[in-house]
Amino acid sequence: MHGVRGACPSLVGFMQNVGMAISLCAFVLAGVVLFRGIAGKCFKLFPLFYSYIIYAFCGSTIMYLVYWLEPQAYRTAFWLYYLVSILVEFTVLVEISDQIFRRFPAIRNLGRAITVVISAVFGLFYVLPALLWSPGMATALLGFALRASVTKAVVLAALLVATRHYGSELGRNVAGLMLGFSIYLGINTANLAAARLFGRVLYGDIYWIMTPVGYTLCLLVWTIALWERSSVPNVGEMSPVVGGSSDAVALELTRFNSELSKLLHK
Amino acid sequence: MIMLIYAAIAIAFFILVIGLLQKPEPHNPDDAFGEKGCAPRIGNGRWLDLSERIFDPSDSRWLQEELAFPKLAKELMVGRKRLAVQWLEALQASFDDLVRTPDFAPIETSETNATGGWQMLWLTVRFKLLVSYALLVVRLFGPYHRLIPSFSWVPLSPASERSFRRAALAVGRTSH
Repeated sequence: MHGVRGACPSLVGFMQNVGMAISLCAFVLAGVVLFRGIAGKCFKLFPLFYSYIIYAFCGSTIMYLVYWLEPQAYRTAFWLYYLVSILVEFTVLVEISDQIFRRFPAIRNLGRAITVVISAVFGLFYVLPALLWSPGMATALLGFALRASVTKAVVLAALLVATRHYGSELGRNVAGLMLGFSIYLGINTANLAAARLFGRVLYGDIYWIMTPVGYTLCLLVWTIALWERSSVPNVGEMSPVVGGSSDAVALELTRFNSELSKLLHK
Repeated sequence: MIMLIYAAIAIAFFILVIGLLQKPEPHNPDDAFGEKGCAPRIGNGRWLDLSERIFDPSDSRWLQEELAFPKLAKELMVGRKRLAVQWLEALQASFDDLVRTPDFAPIETSETNATGGWQMLWLTVRFKLLVSYALLVVRLFGPYHRLIPSFSWVPLSPASERSFRRAALAVGRTSH
C-alpha cells in the first residue's frame, strides 16, 4: 500500500507511465492527509494511523529515490518494502479498533481484542501456511499478500458487525477510515486473486495499475474524511443506574457477574 | 474457481461494509422490555426474588411426588422454562444496556486506566459466556437441571472488584 508500487522496473511503455502517474497521485494524497492531520489537529486523535501515513510517505519517497538513483537495487528494495508494508497495514486496523468503542468504558478494548484474536488465529492457520508450503518464491509472496488481505478484511468486517451490534456511532473520521481501508482491501483481494490465477504474463500489467488505483481511492476517501476533525458523535442515553462514570460501570459489571454466578451455583 | 471465490469475497465484503456503515437506528432501552412491563435491574430485589422462584424446583417436586400430579408438574416445568428463558434474556438485555453506557469524561482522562479497561472487558465477556451457557442449558434441559456449572473456577478477580468498589465510593463521595 504505497505510492511507488506502480513503478516496478519490469514494466515498459504506456502501462508503466499510467502506473507511475497513479502512484504519484497517491503520494501527493498521502502528503495532503499528513498535512491536514497536522493542521487540523487530528494527529493527536489518531496517532497510530498518522504514524502509518508517515511510514508510507517516507517509504514512498525513499523508493522513488532508489528508483531514480540506484535502479539496480530497486527490485530488492521494492519487495522488502512491500512485505513490511503488508504487516504495517495492520496499524490502521489497530487504530480503527481503538476508536470504535472509545466512549464505552465496559468494552473500550473490545475492538483491539477482536483484532488481535482474529489476526493471530488467521495468521497461524491461514497466512503462515501460504509462506511455508507454497511451491515457489513468487507464489509464496502472492499467497502471503492475498491471505493477509483476506485476514484484514475479516477483521474489519468483524469490527463493523460489533460496532453495529452495540449501536456505536462512528463519526465521519472513523467511518471514513473504515470505508477507505475496505475499498483498498476489496480491490486488493480481487486483484491478488486474479494475479494468482492468470499469472504474470496475462495479468502483470493490469496488476501494477490496479494496486495503486486501490490505494489512491483509499487515500482519496481518507483525505475527504479526515479533512477536518469531526465532532464527537451522539453516544446514546446514559444509564439511569450508573450515570456516566467508568468506575460505576465496572462495579455494576461485577455485580451482574456475581449475581449470575450465584444463580448458576444453586 | 479460486478467482471466483475471492472475487465473491471482495464483493460480499464491500456490500457488507456499505450496509454496516449506514447510520444505526438509535437504541431505545425501553424496547427490550416493552412486553415485560419494567426493565430489570440487578439492584432490584424483587426482580432477583423472581429468579429464586423461577429456578426453584420445590413446587414441581411437591406436585409430582406428594400430590402425584405428574402431568401438572410437567406443565408447571414447561411454564417455568419459558419464564426462565425470558428472565435470562431480560438480564442479558439489561446487561447490554449497561455495556452501552457512554463515559462522558474527557478522552484523555478516561483512557488513563488501561488495566481497568481490560478487566471490564473480561467481566463483559465472562458474563456473556455465562448467560449464553445458562440459556442453552435451560432451553435444552429445563430450569431445574443440576448440570449448570458454577464457573467458580473462572476468576472474578476479587482484587479488581475491591478496587472498583473503592473507586466508585470515591466518585460517590466527591460528587456529593
